[in-house]
Amino acid sequence: MITLKDIKQAQWDLYVGLLTIEQKDSLLIQWYAPDCYFNPIQDLNDNWVISVEEMANCVNEEFIWVKDLPLIIYEPKPTPPPFN
Amino acid sequence: MIIGKAISPFSIKRRNGGGGGGNDADAQAFITASGISGTEATAINTLVVNLKSANIWTKMKALYPMVGGTATSCKFNLKNPVDSDAAYRLVFSGGGTFSANGYQPNGTNAYANTFFIPSVNGTLNSNHISYYSRTNSNGTEVELGTNISDAAPNSILEIRTTGVTYLAINSNAIYTTFTDANSLGFYIGNRTLSNVIKLHKNASIVSSGTTVSTSQSANSFTIGALNQGSGRFFYTTKQCAFASIGDGLTDAEALAFYNAVQTFNTTLSRQV
Repeated sequence: MITLKDIKQAQWDLYVGLLTIEQKDSLLIQWYAPDCYFNPIQDLNDNWVISVEEMANCVNEEFIWVKDLPLIIYEPKPTPPPFN
Repeated sequence: MIIGKAISPFSIKRRNGGGGGGNDADAQAFITASGISGTEATAINTLVVNLKSANIWTKMKALYPMVGGTATSCKFNLKNPVDSDAAYRLVFSGGGTFSANGYQPNGTNAYANTFFIPSVNGTLNSNHISYYSRTNSNGTEVELGTNISDAAPNSILEIRTTGVTYLAINSNAIYTTFTDANSLGFYIGNRTLSNVIKLHKNASIVSSGTTVSTSQSANSFTIGALNQGSGRFFYTTKQCAFASIGDGLTDAEALAFYNAVQTFNTTLSRQV
């Protein structure tokens, strides 16, 4: 299992932290740093994930466990272009 | 015998009601709220003075200078630096980072909610949106946008997807476009009449259209992604060094706006 301490900052964009449904629900409308809120999203495989930045920059003691989330390679959902 | 009374220059009240350090009062309110100082404070004051001199300050409803290097300093609306949704103070969600160069969304899940809802707070046939991009990229990303579940009405500024920049304001999904060599600079999307829409990049008008306005989105504008109500999509990677929402601008006003913002970012050594 890869975790935050196993990657360099230059690799942050490649990975996301994997959440359970319960963990995702607990993060909704919660702050991780002053004036910054968690935003769990679903990846290509419908996994709930958050960005590595949210994990690394979390200073909210209630959710400090996000720093230990397992990391997976981020695979975004395909979305059609918003324009003609 | 009283011959005369000396007038101290320190007793002269400033036109805008005074403020700390001799700054414009509106600038000082933002400086105080955001906690910035030094060159950033000076640049903010000059920006406000220049916007007022160009008679475009009153056309602005939300101005986001993205200064101070933190979410707390970047969240404030220069036009009304109050920490409330009604003042269009930003709320940042997802990843993203803050620095002296502005707000860097991560392209994965980062965005800022403006709480500016076009159907409530905007004007159908007089509206502009702007974004100062410091990143050259070419992905499917929306920098400032709102629509309703992938349907009209749309207000979207999408800077350079596969070499093309797209704009819609209060219309169906018919876009004003132009072939864009890079995604660096200050972009203004501008509607001044029901059938007049223009896209400005830096000092130039790069595209014009006649797309007729239809109605306005009931979802708030999002910086860094497209707000479709059901969620945010098309997250951007373009670093934001300024953004705004306001009334439509004449060509001359748009040029003056660019000049003021470019001067501002040049003072901060972050111009592109």
